[in-house]
Amino acid sequence: MLRIALKDLFARKRRLVTTAVAIALGIAFLTGTQLLSGILSDSIKSLVGDTYDGIDAVVRSSKVQQVGFGNEIRTPVPEGLAAEVAQVEGVRASSGIVETITAQLVGKDGKIVGSSFGPPTIVYNWVEDPQLRFGTLRDGRGPETDSEIALDFGSAKDGGYQIGDTVTVASQTQTEQFTLVGLTGLGKDGKDSGGAKSLQFTTPVAQRIGQIPGEFSYVVAAADPGLSQQDLTNAISAALPGEQVVTGERFSTENQESISQFVDILGTFVSVFGYIAIFVACFIIYNTFSIIVAQRTRETALLRAVGARRRQVLGATLLEAVVIGLVSSVLGLIFGALLGTGLAKAFSSSFTVKGGIPPIGVGTVVLAFVIGVGVTVVSAVGPALRSTRVPPIAALSEVSVDRSDVSRSRLVWGVAMLVLGGVLMGLGLSDVGPNPLVEVGAAALLILVSVALVLGPLIAAPMARVLAVPFAAGGRIAGRLAGENAARNPKRTAATAAALTIGVTLVTVIAILAASLKSSIDSTISSSLKADLVVNTTTFSIGAGIPANIADQVATTPGVKIASPVRFGPVRLTDAAGKRHARENPETPSLTGGLAGAADTAPPGEDKFMLGIDPATFFEVLNLGALEGSPSEMAPGTFATTKKTADDRGWALGDKVPMFFARSGEQELTLTVIAERDIGQSSIYLPMATFEQVVPPGFNIDNAIYVVADSPADVPQVQTALDKLVADLPTIKVQDLQEYAEQQSGPLNTIVLVIYGLLALAIIIALVGIANTLGLSILERTKELGLLRAVGMTKKQLRRSIRQEAGIVAVFGTLLGLVIGIGFSLALSAVITADNPDIFSYRLPVPTLVAITVIGALAGVLAAILPARRAAKLDVLQAISSV
Amino acid sequence: MSTSEQTAFAAAGAVDAVKVYGEGDTEVRALDGVTATFERGKFTAIMGPSGSGKSTLMHCLAGLDRLSTGRVFVGDTYLDDLSEAQLTELRRDKIGFVFQAFNLIPTLSALENVTLPMDLAGRKPDQAWLDQVIDTVGLRPRLTHRPSELSGGQQQRVAVARALASQPDIVFADEPTGNLDSRSGGELLQFMRHAVSDLGQTIVMVTHDPTAAAYADRVVFLADGHIVSEMTEPTAARVLDLMKQLGD
Ligand SMILES: Nc1ncnc2c1ncn2[C@@H]1O[C@H](COP(=O)(O)OP(=O)(O)O)[C@@H](O)[C@H]1O
Ligand SMILES: [Mg+2]
Repeated sequence: MLRIALKDLFARKRRLVTTAVAIALGIAFLTGTQLLSGILSDSIKSLVGDTYDGIDAVVRSSKVQQVGFGNEIRTPVPEGLAAEVAQVEGVRASSGIVETITAQLVGKDGKIVGSSFGPPTIVYNWVEDPQLRFGTLRDGRGPETDSEIALDFGSAKDGGYQIGDTVTVASQTQTEQFTLVGLTGLGKDGKDSGGAKSLQFTTPVAQRIGQIPGEFSYVVAAADPGLSQQDLTNAISAALPGEQVVTGERFSTENQESISQFVDILGTFVSVFGYIAIFVACFIIYNTFSIIVAQRTRETALLRAVGARRRQVLGATLLEAVVIGLVSSVLGLIFGALLGTGLAKAFSSSFTVKGGIPPIGVGTVVLAFVIGVGVTVVSAVGPALRSTRVPPIAALSEVSVDRSDVSRSRLVWGVAMLVLGGVLMGLGLSDVGPNPLVEVGAAALLILVSVALVLGPLIAAPMARVLAVPFAAGGRIAGRLAGENAARNPKRTAATAAALTIGVTLVTVIAILAASLKSSIDSTISSSLKADLVVNTTTFSIGAGIPANIADQVATTPGVKIASPVRFGPVRLTDAAGKRHARENPETPSLTGGLAGAADTAPPGEDKFMLGIDPATFFEVLNLGALEGSPSEMAPGTFATTKKTADDRGWALGDKVPMFFARSGEQELTLTVIAERDIGQSSIYLPMATFEQVVPPGFNIDNAIYVVADSPADVPQVQTALDKLVADLPTIKVQDLQEYAEQQSGPLNTIVLVIYGLLALAIIIALVGIANTLGLSILERTKELGLLRAVGMTKKQLRRSIRQEAGIVAVFGTLLGLVIGIGFSLALSAVITADNPDIFSYRLPVPTLVAITVIGALAGVLAAILPARRAAKLDVLQAISSV
Repeated sequence: MSTSEQTAFAAAGAVDAVKVYGEGDTEVRALDGVTATFERGKFTAIMGPSGSGKSTLMHCLAGLDRLSTGRVFVGDTYLDDLSEAQLTELRRDKIGFVFQAFNLIPTLSALENVTLPMDLAGRKPDQAWLDQVIDTVGLRPRLTHRPSELSGGQQQRVAVARALASQPDIVFADEPTGNLDSRSGGELLQFMRHAVSDLGQTIVMVTHDPTAAAYADRVVFLADGHIVSEMTEPTAARVLDLMKQLGD
């Protein structure tokens, strides 16, 4: 039996490979991205390790504020602390450190060095002790006067700078020039380029640019020889009981983790698409096995007739699945390794990939084999079981094709699954039940399987005939045959189309959500923002913003009626709702050990972003609907919010709401204005005077300045004047409302493109599936094709007919995907609208959906090219006399 | 015969036709210098023992296969000069073919199967002629049925109708009754006889059944790739006699 199965398998190498390719693509993607995140997080770890190498203890404030994406900012410590640390017994050397993200490096070409999404640009002070200094001096010397700077060699190269050059730095307050005197790098001899871009100044300059005059970000110390990090930490903590002291090792780990968190999110995000790809591949494997089993019915029955037991027949099919699974896993691993290292190379511009490519981990190999073999075997079980139910008598009848009827029970099952899926989806989306995300996922799966595999066959045949109408118009028989062939085996057609349906469903949901979000942003801006122009920051990095002196200059520009600046900053709401949020979302336990003295002091609450505004002008420029309370009452110590937030959190005018800021501690602000409309930005508005006192350094900078001109006629003149004002500031642009809206939705476009790219994989796998099914169907129809050619069908007509057949299947799958996708998007939009009634508007991007359909159809045609060629090459006489 | 001029022209023929399969030790000369013509408006039967080259000759005449050497023609066209695509068009427009079994496309109705070659050519069938052919083979009540809903005999009649429907120069039928019981077979032969006598068609049929051969106007005997004998106005008894003679 084993011998028969293996012989059979190798007799059909082509089928083996094409089937394996589908799974292999998914596995390649999964292992490739795993490898990539492994490479990135390893090199990040080693870079961070190098950066903080030589530091044995860090003395810092216990006041910390979360600023989003796993980043936190600590309150600075007084300058004098450095001297106190130096006095402690066991400290060999110590230094106060300035480490802020308050400046950008401007290249020789006038452009900001590095991308918004890449590693940050960090301002440091130059530390005399080489062991405590960040990085190693490669060339030149450290800055000795306030007009000098040292750069990491990577940034210098990117900016086009050499030692002796005048370097431009855009800080939050101004653009200034420094002389480049030294280059640093990481590693023992400074050969490695660092992940972050570092700008090193003398201490006073670093403090000024970092906006912490008279303060340090923290103080670092090196131990006397023979003293352990922990002993040093304890010694310092004993001498300075008020401060938090951590070991150098812990400090390094904390930094590694905050960066790896980002890499992990990236990895998870990408592997989701790997799993989608594998899910799609499952359909293909399932389908392939169904067809193979159907075609082998006679052979199987013959085996049974001559005495093979059911278990043996089952075993033979499963063995085939295992072999295909193994082949896929190996192929997938090979492709995955190539993909991972290729991606790592591509990423190496933003993340330094250190050292060589590490070998593929055992975990990755195991994952590949478990998924590759597991998925194939599971997909093959159904068809394999069916193959054992073939009664021996079938051997005597004609080659039977799977013609089992689309029965009533199928309809009942399909509808039941659909309803269950709908209910689950509703529950999940409205946040009912233990795990809404799992519910939505399971619901999506149920609905897809129901529509594609259970209900699909019911509509596949009529749909195929309808879709064939344009091809068959005017009595063109090739088109009619294409439709009939697509309709002749509805289960197969439905399962083949299903693979495409999944990809198209996801693409459709993304396209609709993106279009809806974009139109929501546009309409929110056009309905709420009454500014003529916006002076805006064009980079997204934390710490980038408009130098402080610009706002006043804008305000005094002739023709400007209002100039209203806004700032963004972090806040932790520690009211009842915030505390509840903290209870329901406990923070992941932080590192243990390596810490002495004061623990982190942030009270529990919900982290949000807030806006700093000028109450006198903000509500003039931004239409937030009717206001309860008056902006003129927004004195220091007060705040404004929107009706939705007030209702959600149970606030009323005059309430004193507790909020926590790392810099100033917990304090209560009085709610004095409630605006009717929510506009999707942060909905906590602090008067600028209060904002300035509570935000961490780096956030105290205008993010945008809304400008209203005296009259519409003045706008061009104002624009010219403002353009001139910001001409020297590479990150600042003067935008009209349309440009402003485009910038707001810009990141969305990028994300959507990336998602499309990833989903393309699912679609490519679906195409492999179409090609595979078509190939097998053609094999089954060899005789018929021979007959058609004998009675005068030209090769061209035959090829066209097969391409049309594939096109029909593809369009069927695409249309199903469109319908399900629109359904999902409606459900999602209902939930989003419930949360953001003022902002979200549903939008169907018709041209995009049409394009998706056309691409789906073309893709099907593309998939058919090879099978069609093979069919046309059949020798007529051989085909006709084939069994 | 109605018009004696027509019979003067051959509908198809072979000149020194040689077909060799394989090489060296395994070489088989399926046709070994066959020269024959098939008269227009006549029903010719080809007989011979199994493996004598009957199918090969028919396939080469019908443009389904190519000769090793020699020439074959249909109407005024030499097939050996034609490209693959031209041969396909010739099969579609000038030649009808009936195989022993599996003649019909299962997804098309009987009528669609009949008109298939013309549909492939994008031509409208001549409705009057089509009606005549359909009535001759007695298919009218079965036109909308799929092949799976037809008996073997009915399926072969649809195949004959398809072969005749485009008014080809010649129809080739390779043991068309081979898979039928004697009654259905007899009916089918009757229809073919009608098509020749009453509709003026030309049919060449391979058979090894003397009774079937008796429906023909002429019988050609093949053995080992050669034409060994022929007979006009055959009867089953005479054919059987000749077969016995040849067998000795
Ligand atoms: N495709 C082929 N390859 C090799 N030999 C063939 C092929 N087709 C036919 N033959 C051989 O050619 C000879 C004539 O075959 P065929 O024309 O089918 O005979 P018939 O139809 O009279 O039984 C036989 O010996 C057969 O084995
Ligand atoms: Mg034969």
